[in-house]
Amino acid sequence: MATANNTVHGRIEQARMELTPAQMGVGLALIAALGFALLFVQEPMMHDSMHNFRHAAGITCH
Amino acid sequence: MFTSYLKRGVKAGVIAGLIFGLFMALVANPLVLFADELGQVDHHAVDGHHKEGTDSAHHDSAVSMTVTNGVSIISGVLWGLLLGGVIFGIAFYFLEPAIPGTGGMKSYLLAVAGFVTVSGAPWLVLPPQPPGVEQALPTETRLILYGGMMVAGALVCLLAGFVFGRLRDANGRIIAAIIAVLPFGLLVILAVLSPVNSVESSLPPELTAGLTGMIVFGQALLWLLLAGAHARLHRRQTDRQASEIMTSHTDATATAD
Repeated sequence: MATANNTVHGRIEQARMELTPAQMGVGLALIAALGFALLFVQEPMMHDSMHNFRHAAGITCH
Repeated sequence: MFTSYLKRGVKAGVIAGLIFGLFMALVANPLVLFADELGQVDHHAVDGHHKEGTDSAHHDSAVSMTVTNGVSIISGVLWGLLLGGVIFGIAFYFLEPAIPGTGGMKSYLLAVAGFVTVSGAPWLVLPPQPPGVEQALPTETRLILYGGMMVAGALVCLLAGFVFGRLRDANGRIIAAIIAVLPFGLLVILAVLSPVNSVESSLPPELTAGLTGMIVFGQALLWLLLAGAHARLHRRQTDRQASEIMTSHTDATATAD
């Protein structure tokens, strides 16, 4: 284990073996959805609800 | 192996996120609300002859204050969870061999890189603003700038790590570290070249400075918590693995005897 995946390349290979494409897809979709919702959504209801958070995180808004 | 890394990152994220949520509830929510109200009062005082209500549309929230406070706290927790999962779960899994240092040091270095990527680099162009500030650039442009600087920040951090890794063996740690800092100058160049976002605020400068300080402190605290929790969890796991190897080793020698 220590020798086979002790490079970045090795880790990528290992992840490719361990995960199915479906798992990767779902994972990436979840991350994208959460990240987008927290950082960039401008829809008024969502935006106003997270108003204080966006300011506290220093994320640009309105 | 990937799952155990991801789990550890998410755990660190939950710990840091909960504390950041507490920070949201106790410090950020009341302060932002105070600044919001103060800004509005000043706004009305300046445009006193305007009709009441029509002018304050900018900050008449679509939702009640309780909702804003509640959702903001939850968002804070989710923010920690997201950063923990993505940076300390996924990114750490892939980059661990390339991050300089040993043990917990890697977590803290990754936290610095994460802070630069998610907050530091974008803040060079768009510094954190208190509520009620009029900004020159339209929101769309600012979102693109913010996102673009996040990408630039991530690339610069990767470049710095790559440069350090290349130079370490030939030139020693200190020279490698000094040269690895240079790529961060690229961010400053980008920030100088990007369009200027002039701001207009009716808040007193002391309050603005205090709010900016709170924002920077809050994010730095979040990354410190993430790194601390992650380093601790990582060490615990390595200790456990080491002790398992030890016991299996001693078992083997015992049976061999």
